[in-house]
Amino acid sequence: MCGISGIMYKNARRDGLANVGGDLVKMLDSLAHRGRDSTGFTVVGEQFDEDLIVRLWTEDANNSELALSNVEEAIGRVGGVVITKRSWGDFLRFTVNYEGEVPRLAEALMNTDGVVIHSIGEVSEVVKDIGVASDMEDKHHISKLRGTHGIGHVRMATESKVDITHSHPFWAYPFTDVTVVHNGQLTNYHKLKRHYQTMGHRFLTENDSELIAVYLADKLANGDKLESALSQSLDDLDGTFTYLVSTKDGMGVAKDRWAAKPLVTMQTDDVVAVASEEIALRSVFTDEELDRVEPQESEVLTWSV
Amino acid sequence: MVSIDARQLSATEINRKIKEVAETSGEITILNPQARHNIAVGVLKPCKINVEGSVGYYGASLMDGPEVHISGNAGWALGENLMGGKITVTKDAGASVAASMRDGDIYVGRNVGARAGISMKGGTLLVGGNSGFLTGFMMQKGRIIVCGDVGDAVGDSMYEGVIYIGGEIGSLGADAREEEISEGELIELWDVLEQHGITEKPRFRKIVSEKKLYHFDTLERLEMSAV
Repeated sequence: MCGISGIMYKNARRDGLANVGGDLVKMLDSLAHRGRDSTGFTVVGEQFDEDLIVRLWTEDANNSELALSNVEEAIGRVGGVVITKRSWGDFLRFTVNYEGEVPRLAEALMNTDGVVIHSIGEVSEVVKDIGVASDMEDKHHISKLRGTHGIGHVRMATESKVDITHSHPFWAYPFTDVTVVHNGQLTNYHKLKRHYQTMGHRFLTENDSELIAVYLADKLANGDKLESALSQSLDDLDGTFTYLVSTKDGMGVAKDRWAAKPLVTMQTDDVVAVASEEIALRSVFTDEELDRVEPQESEVLTWSV
Repeated sequence: MVSIDARQLSATEINRKIKEVAETSGEITILNPQARHNIAVGVLKPCKINVEGSVGYYGASLMDGPEVHISGNAGWALGENLMGGKITVTKDAGASVAASMRDGDIYVGRNVGARAGISMKGGTLLVGGNSGFLTGFMMQKGRIIVCGDVGDAVGDSMYEGVIYIGGEIGSLGADAREEEISEGELIELWDVLEQHGITEKPRFRKIVSEKKLYHFDTLERLEMSAV
């Protein structure tokens, strides 16, 4: 069991950014009973002065200064310029000006000793850690993150180890701003992973859910629309899944043919929210009369800002 | 009548209050359930329970006797293992509604998710709207009435029991077949609908088991001793 949730303020580009981080904390806290191993967020939509936001994790929290300088050097080596850098505990965050190809930057970071990339985004960043949402607040201040939309996940690990890097959301290396949260198990993970590896894709973890992110990003990079990529995944992915994807300007959900994993949605003219359980939707919508809809098997839904 | 605010109480405390009321066959209203799980579970005596709002998973499950009215939605496994009594939900219910129910009545005003009436062993499940994938999966007895459409694989692997569908059928499941419905049955179904305030009179289609999947001629040990 895991819990997923997402929220989008459909008019936020016109009306201003919303408290997406705060909403996700509330929703994921109310889903904590679905998984207490780890919690993660993607918040999307803030336009930064710099080209890219890079989030990383270092295995040596006592030596984060070294990690910061190693990463800065790696970014510089491929022509990037670090504008801001920050570390807290074992987490690192950089804002970078970079005009080159993102895969080249990602490769340089991947080859940097002692650090793991959590996300590279133009308008999004991934925050994930061990524990439940409310535990993370003091450390990561997620409820201060504003945006147009975001997705989140609480994990009860079944498929790979419990650590920060194997937590959701999974960033689709090396495609900016594509991240996925997943409730379920993929049964053709190894086969598809080998297929994408032979095509040159890299995987950062042993977690089956990372495959969905790479799968979708590959389709989007080849010109597919989000909705058609999600629909195609219903045939290509085996196993049980309800997953959420966030992109630069969109959010989508796909539910497997068995309807094995839960999801409910609620929306107004301005906001759409989705979650594994209604209890999470009730934590952000106060209107008791608002209808909630449970998507059925093989259903795909997308929204955009 | 007793009224409690669920916001201040744990599910265990809520259920304890309900059981206190059930001891005297009384009536209780639960306010602000906030779609939480395990509300009104394990109540084994007749009483009236009104829930003003949505419940989460296993709402009104493991019950025998009470009359429950939920003004809102229910999550997965509403009325799971119902032994007797009546449950009404005004809006939607999630997947696996009426799972393994043995007797009594469950009425959902609008739509339900996948696997409605899975392994049902008696009683009536009435759905005012549509029902999802695998409706009546492995049902063994009882009656499912869906006024709207059903998804794919309706009646898959059912042993006994009947599924009536007022709208479109996605597809029949393994070992399910359609049977001619009699006018008498239709009138009986319309009467059930009328009791729940549904005025439409759909021309229901009837799904039963083909009985080719299992060996129905093999007697259980207890049955053999009775022969």
